[in-house]
Amino acid sequence: MNTFKLAILAALLAPMTASAQERFGTRNGHIAFFSETPMENIEGNNHKVSSVWDATTGALQFAVLIKAFEFEKALMQEHFNENYMESNTFPKAEFKGKMTGVTAEQLKKPGTYEVMVEGDLTIHGVTKPVKTKGTLTVEANGTIKASSDFMVRPEDHGIKIPGTVRKNITEQIAIRVRMDYTRM
Amino acid sequence: MPEHFRTEPAMRPKIMIAVLGTVAVIGGGTYAYLEYNRGTADADAMRPVASVTATELLTAFTSDEAAADHRFVGTAEQAIEVKGTIRAMEPVGSDKTNVILETGDPMAGVVCEFSNADLPGDWRSGASVTVKGICTGLLMDVVLVRCAASQ
Repeated sequence: MNTFKLAILAALLAPMTASAQERFGTRNGHIAFFSETPMENIEGNNHKVSSVWDATTGALQFAVLIKAFEFEKALMQEHFNENYMESNTFPKAEFKGKMTGVTAEQLKKPGTYEVMVEGDLTIHGVTKPVKTKGTLTVEANGTIKASSDFMVRPEDHGIKIPGTVRKNITEQIAIRVRMDYTRM
Repeated sequence: MPEHFRTEPAMRPKIMIAVLGTVAVIGGGTYAYLEYNRGTADADAMRPVASVTATELLTAFTSDEAAADHRFVGTAEQAIEVKGTIRAMEPVGSDKTNVILETGDPMAGVVCEFSNADLPGDWRSGASVTVKGICTGLLMDVVLVRCAASQ
């Protein structure tokens, strides 16, 4: 059983020991990345992000299948998987950390909160600490929308960009995270 | 032939080389342009490399994820065919729908992402269907993208 499914099981079983915990999840989170240079713009979108957030402890986890990133152009998708992300060797990216700045009590009524997300981001088999701001919106129907934008340097995760295409790809890739959480 | 169109025999190889060079440049440029702008293919256009039930697919991934990755995800993009009963259908944004196939495990399904344009209008929860899709691996569920109804 993979570690992410174990985390989900733990999240579901935990209420037996701590009834006050508030857990939210999604299987359809959206993560996009962007590289914009004068040579070309590259955009990848993944609408199959799994995430679990425990509002009581703040524990937050994401998991992404690299091959589920989609591109407008097939050649970009092939280069992304084969040359840069090596998705046959590193099929997933993960984040494990905490979200702070909002309490479980605040989630009971609609509102928007500025939050801080901090943890370990594993891409291409290399784990690096990440700290970034985000926004959490509680809607009237109880859905929680979370968003965050931050930058990642490919080289920090051991992703080598050949000199011949260095001008085609930005030094820092912009990451956009959009999650619609529902209660688990 | 008019006099001014005639060429000396010594000039003919050079003209042939110039013509062939021009054709090669135009042909190469056209190929490069088309290849650069080639769109991603839907599973509909691919021959499936495997045909399994949703339960068999989930079992394969949960019992040996690396082996299932090798067989169903593959090293190059490939389509597989999955038979099952629709557990649920969920909209994803404005233009996609997840068709979740029953696996017998309430914690996990086979999630098949369709563009709304490719989703048969008569599909409902409880229907037995066959889906062709590009398997990307296992998270909470086994995930298939760019799906189509299998004929």
